[in-house]
Amino acid sequence: MSLSIPVLETERLILRAPCEDDFEAEAVFYASDASRFVGGPKKPHETWRSLAMMIGHWAMRGYGFWALEEKSTGDYLGRVGLWYPHGWYEREIGWSLMQGATGKGYATEAGQRARQHAYEILGWTTAISQIDPANEPSKAVARRLGATYETIYNDPEYGDIEIWRHPGPDTIGDGGMEAYA
Amino acid sequence: MTDIRPIPTLTTERLTLRGPVPSDFEPLAAFFANGDYSWGFGGPLTRNEAWRWFASLIGHWALRGYGFWFITETASDTVIGMAGIWEPEGWPEPELGWVMFEGSEGKGYAFEAALAARKYAYEVFGLSALSSNIMPGNTRSVALAERLGAHHESTYENVSHGTEMLYRHPGPTAQAGGAVS
Repeated sequence: MSLSIPVLETERLILRAPCEDDFEAEAVFYASDASRFVGGPKKPHETWRSLAMMIGHWAMRGYGFWALEEKSTGDYLGRVGLWYPHGWYEREIGWSLMQGATGKGYATEAGQRARQHAYEILGWTTAISQIDPANEPSKAVARRLGATYETIYNDPEYGDIEIWRHPGPDTIGDGGMEAYA
Repeated sequence: MTDIRPIPTLTTERLTLRGPVPSDFEPLAAFFANGDYSWGFGGPLTRNEAWRWFASLIGHWALRGYGFWFITETASDTVIGMAGIWEPEGWPEPELGWVMFEGSEGKGYAFEAALAARKYAYEVFGLSALSSNIMPGNTRSVALAERLGAHHESTYENVSHGTEMLYRHPGPTAQAGGAVS
């Protein structure tokens, strides 16, 4: 199995492969209540396993979560990516920002770039995002990306989760794919 | 692009130890589904959990540069278990681990694979010491550890598995001297 993780860019961000250096920031994030909407809180050893699992997801699926870096500072901001582990509802665009990285439009900027990769490079024809019913900031990101609430789903492991549907490749509402170029 | 370094392939008289391939998921999921077999290895796990464990095994190679090989019976190309070096976050030190899937025990395969993995870990990965973490009551693994020349050094609390016995392997020099051959 090979592991090839492309590096992508947006105006303010670099999307690159997750690596060991990201672990400390993720461990701090997952130790805090801020992680409650994205599977946390978790103990450090559980967070490390998740990091390893994210890398393995790339090898299994050919896509996965990128680490986000702020171009101007090189700071680790969180992750965004394309997610479909075994048993998942449907192929997903996901995002998770560290405390301090929120409120700057980074999740929207990165989510848009990840979605472009899914549609243009991977040939996805649709995508969802799964969002905790109480996670209002994440729903705001989904709305900015043009996604709409579709249904609520009771995941056997994670409980109630909202399914938000993204506009497809032909109906991207912000001027078409040319707008990304 | 970020690329994982190739996972080496080892061969013994009867066995091949190689990196994970997608088709290993089914035998791994079957192993984890059966608590009678996988209890000493963190099981039982659901299929979804087994998939994520498999992904984390791949990521472990990327993060550490070593990990678990899948063992095949060379003559039949059948997957019969895993052996390798395991050191996720929270582990006391790099571990020599092994497990045989159902139907592959009693043939000396685990011994043969573990010996090859230990030799490679010392000689190529450059590790200077190895231990094996064994759950109390896992008499089959204790017998193998002792056959490999390891001795019960301490008992400790493992972050994932609770109380475990740490078996100390002979170091690179003792092993090279043929103490366990």
